[in-house]
Amino acid sequence: MLTYHPGDSIAHRLDPRTKLFVQAAFAAAAFAHTTLSGLAWLSLVALAFLAAGRLSPLRAVRGYLPALPFLAAGPLVSVFAVDPATVSVGIDPASAFDPLLASYRVLLVLLVSAVYLHATPVRDSRAAIQRLVPGRTGRLLGVGVALVFRFLPLLRADLRRAREASAARLGSERSLRDRIRLVGAAGIRRAFGRADRLALALRARCFAWNPTLPALRFGKIDAVGLLVAAALGVAAVV
Amino acid sequence: MSTESQSVELVGEDVVGNVARAALFAALVGAFAYVSFPNPISPVPVSLQVLGVFLAGIFLGPVWGGASLAFYLVAGAAGAPIFSGGQAGLGPLVGYTGGYLWSYPVAAALIGAVVHGVDGIEEPETVGTARLVAGMLAGTVVIYALGTVGFALVQNVGLTQAFAVSALAFVPFEAVKIAAAVGIVRSDAAAAA
Repeated sequence: MLTYHPGDSIAHRLDPRTKLFVQAAFAAAAFAHTTLSGLAWLSLVALAFLAAGRLSPLRAVRGYLPALPFLAAGPLVSVFAVDPATVSVGIDPASAFDPLLASYRVLLVLLVSAVYLHATPVRDSRAAIQRLVPGRTGRLLGVGVALVFRFLPLLRADLRRAREASAARLGSERSLRDRIRLVGAAGIRRAFGRADRLALALRARCFAWNPTLPALRFGKIDAVGLLVAAALGVAAVV
Repeated sequence: MSTESQSVELVGEDVVGNVARAALFAALVGAFAYVSFPNPISPVPVSLQVLGVFLAGIFLGPVWGGASLAFYLVAGAAGAPIFSGGQAGLGPLVGYTGGYLWSYPVAAALIGAVVHGVDGIEEPETVGTARLVAGMLAGTVVIYALGTVGFALVQNVGLTQAFAVSALAFVPFEAVKIAAAVGIVRSDAAAAA
């Protein structure tokens, strides 16, 4: 799983907003230039980003392991050309070329977002979201994101306990519908119980619209980062 | 030492409760991504995220159900490992899963609108089964339509092939999830909520 690792690499020192812009520009460039030469250049850029975050490509790929079967399936199925009129299936290896490039570009985009996850603490991400989305919408999003991070491990543990308790009572012998119903009902009960206690605690502590966020400041290094983002953005348009 | 003085603007009573529920529900959808049952027709197991989308629409209504799934997307983009298979980051939102992920808030809002109407929230257990099922069917259509189109666009394959790879093995289980969701609404979990 890809999570934040403290460090002092270039990617760690960049402002989170710069990193978000760079990611978006990279994705746009990858979608605009899904050609052999375009993706070759972008592979070099992605490798440079991985180096800037001191993240090994292998670890980055491992973080997105569940995506690989789907990335492989796209080109594989496009080899088969089904003709519904004659109910015949033809095989055309050449037609897998474009989907293969498409899969590879998604892999590159995933690698670049792995650098962000590796080099950006959650608090900074939250601060960036709250500064990028204006007004109360941004503040609500910031609060919501922080709470999701806080409660995800607790709810995962709740669900795990519910499943273990169910399995201990031979719940695994029940039908799929019943098993889903039991886990779902336990999840809802726990989530609403926690939400009500949280809301009470927030009210008791005068939950306000004025948050205390870590200061974000664009530094000299961000000028370079923003230039890279701009260059990728221009490359996506041209 | 610098001091700062500004007036404190309290968040309204009902907003606090709704934000807490929406955020907890987003975390629950994320936790559901880790609950998987073996899929007899595909190597990729069935996970319960879509059940979370159904329940968000049913229990939170159109506005906060949609907001809850928006929290889910933004938290995932910011690095919470809550997308399918514990993935995170901006990548999945623009990758082949993008169509599915972006459809979640839309589907939750639509389910909420069908189940509750647009004028306030009803108690879910008072809503008829036909209406619940209709809402969830509409949500399922939105999720798989947007998901398939997204997969086809991003992976540069035809719509049929996109559906075969990304949806075919999962659609039959949506019926089971819809039946389970009706069971959950009718169980005492709903009464506790």
